[in-house]
Parts: sequence; structure tokens; C-alpha cells
Amino acid sequence: MRLIVDGQPIEFDAGDSALIAMLRAGIHPTGGGCLCLGGDCPHCLATVDGVSYTRTCETPARPGMIVERHPREGYPPLPLNNPAAAEEVKARNVHCDVAVIGAGDSGKAAAEEAERSGKRVITLDAKRGQEVVGVYPGPLVVARTPDGMLHVHPREEIIIATGAAEIQPVAPGNDLAGIVTARAASQLAAVGVPLGRVVAVGARPENAEATVADGQLIRFEGNGKVEAVIVRGADGNEKRIECDTVSVGLGLSPRDVLLRMGSGLAIRAVGNAAREPELPACPTSGVVCSCSGVTADDLQRVWDSGFRELELVKRATLAGTGPCQGSVCVPHIRSFLKERGGELQAPFTARPANRQPTLGEVAAGAHHRATPRTALDAEHRRLGARMDRIGGWWRPWNYGDTRAEYWAVREAVSIGDVSTLGKMIVSGPDALELLERLYPTQVSTIAPGRSRYVLLLDERGYVLDDGLICCDGASRYGLTFTSGGSSFAEMWVRDWAETWNLDVRILNQTMSLGAINVTGPLSKELLARAGFTRPMRHMEHTMATVAGVECRIFRLSFTGELSFELHHPAEQSAELWRSLMALGTDLGIKPHGIQTLLQLRLEKGHVIVGQDTDFDSTPRRIDMEWAVRLDKADFVGRQAVLRTNKAPLDKQLVGLEMDAPAPVEGAVIWRGSEYAGYVTSSAQSHALGKAVMLGWVKLFDGVLPTELTIDGRAARRVSLPFYDKEGRRARA
Amino acid sequence: MNEFQEKKIKFAWPEPKRSYDVVIVGGGGHGLATAYYLAARHGITNVAVLERKYIGAGNSGRNTTIIRANYGIPEAVRFYQRSLELYKHLEAETDRWIMHKQKGLLNVAHTESALRTERARAEVNTAFGAKTEFVAPKEIKEICPQIDLTGGNVWPVLGGSYHPEAATARHDRAVWAFAEGAMKRGVHVHQRIEVRGLTMSGGRVTGVETSAGPIAAKAVVGAVGGHVTTLASMAGVRLPIRTHPLQAYVTNHYDLQFDVIASSPGLLFYMSQTARGEMLVGAEIDRQPSYSYGSTYHFLQHCSHRAITLFPFMRSLRILRQWTGVCDMSPDYSPIMGKTGVDGFLVTTGWGTWGFKAIPAGGEQMAQLIASGETPELIAPFGLDRFASDRMMADRGSAGTH
Amino acid sequence: MLALNRIHATRIVATPSALDSAQWPDDRLVFRIAADEALITPPMANAVVSDPYAIVVADSGFAGAWLPMEEALPLLEHACEWELPRERPAFAQGSVAGIPAKLWIEKDRVLLIVPAPFVADFEERMA
Repeated sequence: MRLIVDGQPIEFDAGDSALIAMLRAGIHPTGGGCLCLGGDCPHCLATVDGVSYTRTCETPARPGMIVERHPREGYPPLPLNNPAAAEEVKARNVHCDVAVIGAGDSGKAAAEEAERSGKRVITLDAKRGQEVVGVYPGPLVVARTPDGMLHVHPREEIIIATGAAEIQPVAPGNDLAGIVTARAASQLAAVGVPLGRVVAVGARPENAEATVADGQLIRFEGNGKVEAVIVRGADGNEKRIECDTVSVGLGLSPRDVLLRMGSGLAIRAVGNAAREPELPACPTSGVVCSCSGVTADDLQRVWDSGFRELELVKRATLAGTGPCQGSVCVPHIRSFLKERGGELQAPFTARPANRQPTLGEVAAGAHHRATPRTALDAEHRRLGARMDRIGGWWRPWNYGDTRAEYWAVREAVSIGDVSTLGKMIVSGPDALELLERLYPTQVSTIAPGRSRYVLLLDERGYVLDDGLICCDGASRYGLTFTSGGSSFAEMWVRDWAETWNLDVRILNQTMSLGAINVTGPLSKELLARAGFTRPMRHMEHTMATVAGVECRIFRLSFTGELSFELHHPAEQSAELWRSLMALGTDLGIKPHGIQTLLQLRLEKGHVIVGQDTDFDSTPRRIDMEWAVRLDKADFVGRQAVLRTNKAPLDKQLVGLEMDAPAPVEGAVIWRGSEYAGYVTSSAQSHALGKAVMLGWVKLFDGVLPTELTIDGRAARRVSLPFYDKEGRRARA
Repeated sequence: MNEFQEKKIKFAWPEPKRSYDVVIVGGGGHGLATAYYLAARHGITNVAVLERKYIGAGNSGRNTTIIRANYGIPEAVRFYQRSLELYKHLEAETDRWIMHKQKGLLNVAHTESALRTERARAEVNTAFGAKTEFVAPKEIKEICPQIDLTGGNVWPVLGGSYHPEAATARHDRAVWAFAEGAMKRGVHVHQRIEVRGLTMSGGRVTGVETSAGPIAAKAVVGAVGGHVTTLASMAGVRLPIRTHPLQAYVTNHYDLQFDVIASSPGLLFYMSQTARGEMLVGAEIDRQPSYSYGSTYHFLQHCSHRAITLFPFMRSLRILRQWTGVCDMSPDYSPIMGKTGVDGFLVTTGWGTWGFKAIPAGGEQMAQLIASGETPELIAPFGLDRFASDRMMADRGSAGTH
Repeated sequence: MLALNRIHATRIVATPSALDSAQWPDDRLVFRIAADEALITPPMANAVVSDPYAIVVADSGFAGAWLPMEEALPLLEHACEWELPRERPAFAQGSVAGIPAKLWIEKDRVLLIVPAPFVADFEERMA
């Protein structure tokens, strides 16, 4: 079996990791540095099948696997064309009482103990390829496994049994090849990787032949590969021992990263992971952090410059900010700082990820915010609509010919999908009381069968939303909200009902009801053909059957033309839509999209909350004080409106017009050379032959300017609406 | 061996005195920059900066290092453009390398409504001195060839805005350059001194109670992140601020091949490549207010998912490190700078997700205020009094992520 | 491939005590989706609860699909971060594949329910 390293095929044996295979072939993955074979050091990292920074010690060799060594200088390239990266990773969720990380002796014992007391235990073991990425609030333990990601949800406890890492040598020449930890030397000997003459510094490797170098490590010598190790014996003399491999046993440091990462969770360590760290000798020379290329000299330099805390040393040298996240260098730096400053500083914060997962791996199980579709979605797409996310829903932006859509509304008849409007029923003995406290209008004067346009204010007196209140009787009301505002509005209404402890029932029907707006001078005719022959007056509503579908019909107008809004069970939306389209064919019916609707309402000067308003829009600033009854009993926002009304008005949303072309929405409005405001809505009016706009304009010395400049051209402030100023068409 | 190691900065750590003209609470970017400009521009050097941990330990060392001025209201555009200009010259001024690099910032839009926002951004930016242009998908692909304009067939890119002068700089380096510059001129910076109370006399603030004893001051400046509301309440000042965690992460290091800051306000994520080659990815603030520096998997998972949607190559990059800072959010998404109504006590706060980019201008203007006693015109709109007087600096342009 | 159909139901909002004390016919599934709200399918022409202010409406705003347990469990293991209730039958609500869902879990089958506007996304995510 063969894998490819830097383009050259090399043989490997069954059970080999990619690292073992490379070592058999005499290749050091990073050219040099003490190998640990335990996943702790950064010296076996390579690009495997297009994924860089892969620990080859933990990667089983596979036939055809492509290993590329990282460049010695600089970093691996971004994988801009890696087709292997397209594979979707799955995540599986499992639930238990106790999660044990590590299946060594202490992990096994902890798992057995928990099981004996009846706990459901899940053990994650790196040797089975289950590498724990991190522990998180939830609690959640995330592991990478050969079958994808595993999300373990332990109800009670996380037990860290990850053992200890071996302390790496810091001495000149520690970046040579041929240096391994004592444990690694044993493992390599066991799988038959030729080590040549082995010299052991510190603890000797188990089951491996080695000459023991008695004394303190001074340096390694060699040219690319280690040729000798120099130690200083008890007699104070340096001794040079020639060798092919140096085995280093300098002590153990607990693998407690997960423990520290999980601080605040129900988490504990057992076995070696819970041991006190052994502090290595203060480094005097050699590479301390191989990830960032930091030497003992660098530590001294930044210390001398005043960087005297572990965090500052880290940030100044960048030690500990590479792929091993400080597991190699931190013990040495702590030793360095203790020698200089006297105190042992705590290791720096353990931050995820413990084992670097790829973005593809961590994205497993994630979904985008879903975008709901109305029951007419398929109709719009069939009619060639360009769909857009509007107010959080997929809605038809246009059907390809906005001019035709526009004129169908103005001169014939058109239908539009307004199913996304927020729709709510409030019922109960306190229904009226709730609405009186929520809305700035006198709700009690809305007679059964009538509707009223209303603003909704927040406690600061700023406009939150707008919509309708429809009275169905003294204890039952229908409310509508904007499409984008409806889910917030539901929380708002429910929160206040609960806060005031009012006796009401609330049902949000937004997703259950469809709504079609029939608009245009011929809309009465179209509805008559559909069997609805008793049109009510403006701002009234009734129940009736339209084309066989039971509807609640509102007479209101957003487009400025005669309009009826048909609310009906969502499952009958498509049937109703198609019937209306068929019945209106010879009337010139066309559906209109949101783009056209925005223009039609702009010509009528209707404000879109969120587009024309900002989050400091008081009723006075949007010139809608008529919608607020300050003389009624308290309502949300009343105190704030009373207070803010005392200050002189500083800006107002106004109508503006100018010659074509229409400026973009957001265009800056000037008064001479002074900033006056900006345009919030803008369109070239087909009916009026000029550009019409809404925009914010500042008052100058208490006066709203009339003559303004936009895009270097003259614009005028005018009264609203632009179209059908007497409002005859909607009331026809 | 490592060109990114700090090799020039030298700090001096004197013993604290019992009294200073100005005590600045908080050794982050804003506190240190205020001290620096007091000393460098106004010759006011009897100044102490008190830091409860180490300098830059808070959000100055936790942000995503973006410098931009493409905000949504004239007052903010002018202020951040000033800061952007000061950053451009900071290396020359301090003779310290802060890894400042002009990269350009691309905001992409996935909906008609987002296009409207980006168009508006370009308009107001251009009018007030920040360079921003509205760009079509084709231009976006030229600026950032790695982007998938189909957005994984889920979030197509319809257009966007490009702000060519946006830059990044190494956050620690900026903090240290200001700290060292202040120290050289005689300012005292004290680490590991915690302020526990404010000393009041005759209704004015006259000093601070600290873990190292009382320190008197003619003026105290609150420049702390996160716990600023606690500090201000010691002077009886109520700040309209809620603190939310904000998370980010970096991948391992890769060759420098991604030279723009890319952002999707709709998907609520953004990314750039650091000078050292890490891909730095961030998202929106956590919804729940908290002072927690804890990291969540939910963030890592969803933010990565969004990144992959627009940048499929990101899928096989490995995540190196995830961290969290806290953001002091004001009701109008704009900072709060200046006088508090209590004599001797000033604040620079409400730095939300826009604190790093504002450090030089924030420091410069606060220093001018302290030196002159008069609120400079550039920051006058951002006073604390605006909330009571209903003069919000409503800025949707900053309400995003970075 | 999962295919959800609109659920014809009666939706009742009433006081919790009125819902607690209501008698439902055995041939209906009654999901208590909130303390003050029940979803009953198939619909009831004249549902009665002892609350004069109850809102009782026909509803077709949800869609659902039955899945045999052996198909449902592996899907939910991937799509559902929370632990399913262990008793049978059981009703549970929460995010499934990022979409607000309701589960009716019987001994050997599961009814998956989502608001109808999310059906397309849900079907795609559960594929």
C-alpha cells in the first residue's frame, strides 16, 4: 500500500498512521522538531488530502492519500480549488448523563463508576478516532469521528481523562529531526520504525534500546538531522554523545485544556489530566515555541522591554498562538517568568478549539435562518416572478414588467399577495383594555364591522409598527401588523398582556391565513364576477364568499385605488388566486409585485415602517400626530411622546418632488451647502411624470425648508399625497 | 525568525503616585489613546491610566481589528473618517509598526432591502468624506474573486458597497504604541490596579479608590469596557448601556491570498485575513446581555456555516482559536463620549462593535475636551445628554457586526 | 423523501383550565401546543370548551408527515439537538433542522409537524 508524500509514493503497513509511514521512509513532516506521537506537538502537521494543519500522527494512512508537507518558510496556500472540500459533513446528537473523554485506565474507571450508579455514560476515545474539539456551555461535547461530527449532550457531568502530555525539550538544535519524546520512542520501536542509536535524556523510553545520557540537556547537534546530544553531567562537564535518535523524557504536563475550557460547567479531571504540572527548567537557549518561531532569547528581549505577564509575553512574541495553542511552550514560558518574577503565573485562557476542526466540520448540523413562503409561492414562480426576501418572507419583487403592473392597478385591476401581513385575534373580557393600553388611538370608538389604521409605539414613543385594528365585537378584535414586524409584534402584545395580567386570549394567525389584495378601479367588477356583489364602504370589513372561498374582506387602500383585501384559509390561496386571474382576464388583470406596490403607496405618501422610519421616529417626526390621541388614558409611549413633544421639532419625514430621474433611496438632501437630510423612498412616478420621494428633512431655525437640492438638482418639499390628493379613487 | 514579534516597544512601569491631574480608568485603546493625546498634543502629562488586568486585556485585545468609516449618519461618518485618517499616520507618528494595512471593505447584499441600505451608505459616505461606492456583482467578483456570487444558491449576491480605505491593524500593537507613546512623555500606566470606587466631594468626582489605595485626580475619565455602567453608577450617573458578548475566531495560518475585508450584513458575518495569514471570522453580538467571556459552539457552528455559504474554500480550513469580547451597546448604536453632568467625571463608552476603529479619534477628541474643558464639535453629537433630549444618533450603519 | 401535507385542524385558544377540563373525542389527536392553546386534528365542527371568550377557528396553517420510527429516529438524531421524550405517546416541540417543529411520537411512528410556510425548507433539510 502506498501514499503520496510531496509527489513521491511511499509504502506503508496496515495500521500505520501517516506519520509512521513517513518516518519509515525517513521523512520528518515538518523537517524537524521533537515528535510526541500523542497529538500534543505541532511537529507532525502536514496537508492531507487538501486539508492543511492535519496531525499526521492521528491520521490513519490510506492508499492514495496525498500528503504535502507545509512550506518551511511561510504558510500553506489557501485551498482555493479543493474539490474534496465540497463534501458535506453530518452531525449526530447523542444524549447521556455523563460524558467521559479519554478511555485510558482513569477514564475507564470513571465510566464504570458512573455506570454502576445507573448513569448513562458515553466515552469518547481519541484512539478510536473520536477527537474532542471542545466542551461548551449546553453542556455540549463536540467530537470529530470517522463518521462525522458527534454532538454529545451530557446532562450531569463531563469527566476529563485525557492524560498528560510530555514536556518538550528547549535547547539549541531542538528543531532538528530525530528528536522524539520517550513515549514516542517506545511507540516507534514497537511498530518497527528504525531508530538507529538511541540516546535517552531524562526518563528512558519503555521497550526501546537506549543509551542513557546522564545529565542536564545542553544542546542537540546535527545538520538537519540530529547527530549528537550534549549533556552536562553532575560533575559539571559537558558530554557529547553521538546518536541517530534522541529520546526525551522531561516530565509530564496535564492535558487539561478541556478542563480549563469548560470552567463553569459541571466538569472534572481524573488521572493524569488532574495532576500538577511539572515545571521544566527555565529555558535559556533554543526554540521555545516552534509554531511561531519564538526562542528563549525572544523571551528575554520582551521581558527586558517590559512585557512581564504571560499574556503580554504571548502577545508580544506570539508564542502559543499557533496550531498547538501553547501546549508545547506554555510550561517553558511559565518557568521563565517564575525565574524572573518569582511568581508562578496561571496558564493563559484555554480557548477552543482543542483539536482544530475544519469549518466544514463545525458547520455540520447548522442551517440558515429559514425563509417562509406563502401558499402562493408556486403561483408567483409559475408567473415568472423574481422572488426576493422581503420582511423575512419570500415575496414576488416583480413579474418582469413593472410598468404594466403599475398601470393594471391604476387603470384596470390587479391582485397582489399580502399573505405575509401579521394577523392576530385578541379575545376576552379585557381585550379592549389591552388594546387601549397598547395603541395610541381610541380603540373604544371603533364600531363592530369597522377597521382603523393604527400606529404602535414603544415606551420611548418611537414608532414600532403599524397596521389595523378591526372590531368584531366588544370583546373580540382582529389586529394586523407589517410583514417584517409581525413576529416581534406577537411578543410585544403577549408580553404586555402578561405584564398587565389582563384576561385575554391571543392567536397569531399569520401563517394560517392567506391574504390577496384586489386593487384597481375594476376591482368591484372583478369581485362581482367572483360572486361578491355587496361591496362595503371604505374601512369596513365583512365575511363573504369569493369564488367559492370563504373570506373576511377588508375594504382599505394602500395603492390609492379602490381595494379589497381578502383574508382566507391559506390552503385555498392558490385556488382563489387562479379564479381571480381567470375571471379578470378580459379586464386586463395582472398581478403586481412588491416593487410596484412600493411605488404605488409612495405616490399616496404612505409610510413603510422600517424603510421610511428610523428607530427614533416619533409620531410628530413622521407627521402622523393625527394617529395619536394624547387626551386618552395612558398607553405605551404616551409619557415619552408628551415629553419629547416639548422639545422643538428637529426633523420631519416629508414629501419631496423633482424632475426625472428619481434619485436613489438614501440620496443626501441639501439646503444650499448645508446637510438637510436624506431620501428614504424614491420613484419615478408613471402617473405624474416626475420623481416623488419621502425623506427626512431638518428644520432650520424652526422652519422646514421648501427649496432643496438632491444630486445637484432642485427638489421641492410638497404636501402629501402626490397622487389623487382628494382620495376619491380609493373611496369610489 | 518571526517577523511579527514585537521588537521595538519598551514599557516603563513606575510606582503609582497619590495624586494626578487626570486619572483614566481602563488601560484599553481608548484610555491609552486619551492619555497619549493629552501628553502629545496638549502637554498634559501628570496623568495615570489604571488597568485592573494588563493593558489591552479587554476588548482592545479581543476585537477583529477593522478600521472603517462607512457608517450611516453624517456625524458618524465624519468621526470615523477622522479616526481612519489618524490610523493611517499612526505608524509614522509613533515610529511603531502596528501592521496597518489598507484593504478595502466589501459589504454584500442579498436582498433588495439590503441593496437599498448599501446604496444609502454610499450616498452618505461620499457626501461626508468617506469613500464608498455602490458595486454590482461583477465588480464584487473582481474585488473578491473567492466569493461565490450564488451564495450557495441560498443567499445570492445582488450587489453591495465597497469602501476602499478600510484597513486592518494589529490590535495589541495599536494599544502598545499609544501606551508607550504616553509613557515616554511621562504618563503613568499602572497594571493590576483595580478601581473600586470614586471619591466624591461637593458633588464632584475628586479621585478614585483603588486596590492600591486612594488616588486623587482633578478629572476622572471612565474608559472601561463592560463594567462601565458600574463605574458610572459610583458617580450617580446612569448610562443607557447593555453589555453583550461578541465572539470571533481565527483559522490557522495560510499564505496571504485574501486581501479584502468581506462582510455580509444580511448573513451577519464578516471575515478578513490577518497579516499573519489567519482567516478571521466574526458575527453579530449574542442576543442575551452578559459580561461573559465564554465561547459558544452555536456561534462557531453557525458562523462557519455562513462563511462557507459565500466562501466555499473556507470549508477545509482549520479553526485555530475562538474567543469572546463584550460590547457596550447604546440604544442608538453610537458611542457616548464626553461630560456626564457630574463635574470631574467624563466617559468614553458605548463602544459596541465599533470601538477599535474609533481609538485614535476617540482619544484625540477626549484629550481635547479634557484640555480645553469644551466639547469638540466632532463629538458633540455623541454626548450622554442626547438620550434625555431625544436627539438619538440613530445609526443603522453601525448596527451590524464589526 | 419526506413529503408534508397540510393538516386540517381546529385551533382553540382558551384558558388553561378550560382546555384541561375539555373532553375530546377518541378519534382525534389533540396537541396542547401551549398552556392556553390546543390543536385538534381532524377538525371538529363544533368544539366546545368552557370559556365564553375562547377563540375556536378552523386552521390549515400546519403541515405534517407520518414517519415509521425506524426512519424517523436517524433523521431526528441529525436534525434535533434536544433529547426526545422517552414516554409513548409523547408530544414535543422545538427546533428541528432549524425550523420550529412539533413531534407527536407514538410507539412505532412519529408525526412531524411544521408551519406550512416552512415546508419547502423543511423537506429539503430532512432529505
